[in-house]
Amino acid sequence: MAEASIEFKGSSFTLSVLHLKTSTLSDFRDDLKKKVAQAPDFFYLVPIVVDIERVDSSIDYQAVKLLVEEFKFTFVGFTGNVPKAQRKLIRALGFSFVNSANSAVSRTKKVQASTKAVKADEEIVAKVKQTQIIPQVSLFTDKIHRGQIRSGQQIYAKDQNLVIIGSVSAGAEVIADGNIHVYGSLRGRAIAGAKGHHQAQIYCQNLEAELVSINGNYWLSESMEQHWNSPAYIHLSDTELVSSKLI
Amino acid sequence: MARIIVVTSGKGGVGKTTSSAAIGIGLALKGHKVVLIDFDIGLRNLDLIMGCERRVVYDFVNVINGEATLNQALIKDKRVSSLSILPASQTRDKDALNKENVGKVLDDLAKRFDYIICDSPAGIEAGAMMALYYADEAIVTTNPEVSSVRDSDRILGMLASRSRRAELGLEPIKEHLLLTRYSPKRVEEGEMLSVEDVEDILAIPLLGVIPESQAVLKASNAGEPVILDTESDAGKAYQDVIDRLLGETVEFRFLVAEKKGILSRLFGG
Ligand SMILES: Nc1ncnc2c1ncn2[C@@H]1O[C@H](COP(=O)(O)OP(=O)(O)OP(=O)(O)O)[C@@H](O)[C@H]1O
Ligand SMILES: [Mg+2]
Repeated sequence: MAEASIEFKGSSFTLSVLHLKTSTLSDFRDDLKKKVAQAPDFFYLVPIVVDIERVDSSIDYQAVKLLVEEFKFTFVGFTGNVPKAQRKLIRALGFSFVNSANSAVSRTKKVQASTKAVKADEEIVAKVKQTQIIPQVSLFTDKIHRGQIRSGQQIYAKDQNLVIIGSVSAGAEVIADGNIHVYGSLRGRAIAGAKGHHQAQIYCQNLEAELVSINGNYWLSESMEQHWNSPAYIHLSDTELVSSKLI
Repeated sequence: MARIIVVTSGKGGVGKTTSSAAIGIGLALKGHKVVLIDFDIGLRNLDLIMGCERRVVYDFVNVINGEATLNQALIKDKRVSSLSILPASQTRDKDALNKENVGKVLDDLAKRFDYIICDSPAGIEAGAMMALYYADEAIVTTNPEVSSVRDSDRILGMLASRSRRAELGLEPIKEHLLLTRYSPKRVEEGEMLSVEDVEDILAIPLLGVIPESQAVLKASNAGEPVILDTESDAGKAYQDVIDRLLGETVEFRFLVAEKKGILSRLFGG
């Protein structure tokens, strides 16, 4: 067998951390602007991690990232000693969460650090493998909806993926030309790849859907028995819908 | 600023009018100036539950049409002087109300009262939309069964999209979940949804759980809102609702089935 073309190894770098102290983004922007104005060259393309420990967990993470990038930093991810659920949410939104070596969280876990690192590597490799099997749709941008989609409501992400931070009620309908992510329960109908996109997928934290459909192939509740009431994702293999355990 | 609170549900017969009456009188007993408005045009129910049906001369529609002044139409409660009732008309049809005129009446009432409680008709048609349009807060009244929960979910969607606050992009209506006719025994037997099930589906803060109670029917027949029956379980549960509405943290009661002791079983408790 030929030698692998890539190899994963751990390494430490020093990154600048920006501590966010206000949830008011306009204030944040003003202060950042002042700071950068003092030494624009110094900050240019500097990799930066944003510490969100001291601000409200409901801040608009995407807006924070865009703000940082607006001032020509290279945004790496978020950090801070925050609850697990919040870290999960941040990851779910598509951002990295970086654990700092001297944060309270990792201090308590230091002993396990070396074994962890190895494990993380394995995880990355596993992920890479996985993505080869199931092609991801990354051509689309995301339409993000915060809150429940109630019975009788319908939401359509035209030429986009649809991300719902909340549940989709029975009697509600979510439609996307790309993927659908539900960070909550999917109890209504979800139609992904609506314009005919074979690779589209549906992800949810709790599957109780009335109907799921990808590129015109659909399932009613009765076909979802296998992952009913658990986190699942659904994709197409040829013209068959397949559901898999999400975590 | 007056707080405009709509008591709504989607599904009919879940306990909106019972709850409106109890909450209205409960807030008034705490010294607040309260007006109860019956939006169920054509049915007239609130005045019966409040026991003032024989004192109705003018109604909400008369005021809307300029046929009577608010002073003429408002009925002062005989038990609590800080409470007034604006009854619905039994003779008019449902389309008698329009947004603009309802808005004017509410503006007038807001100058005189601390709380305006709107008892909504069932359904999701014009009447129910009118009752919720101007609301600052909504008490979503729900029975622990699937169809009622589904309708409440539907109404929550309307609150978020069809209200004045939604149309003007103001702070959203504050939503409260009121579970009524709750029977812990039937929940345990798997015949009804549990508090947790309903909270999980609707995902809004719980304001109260009112047990299924004989006292409610008795109270309705007597025209004495059940909250005045301070010995009854439903009366106590509504009292807790008032305290929570006024910002207190009160533990939830009547959530588990009472285990009948040998004595009460012998003597019938
Ligand atoms: N906690 C309770 N225990 C027992 N019976 C109750 C309870 N709450 C309400 N009821 C009964 O349910 C019936 C409907 O109550 P109510 O009129 O308050 O509902 P509603 O939602 O206003 O109805 P509508 O949609 O017709 O306006 C009445 O007979 C009432 O006595
Ligand atoms: Mg009623």
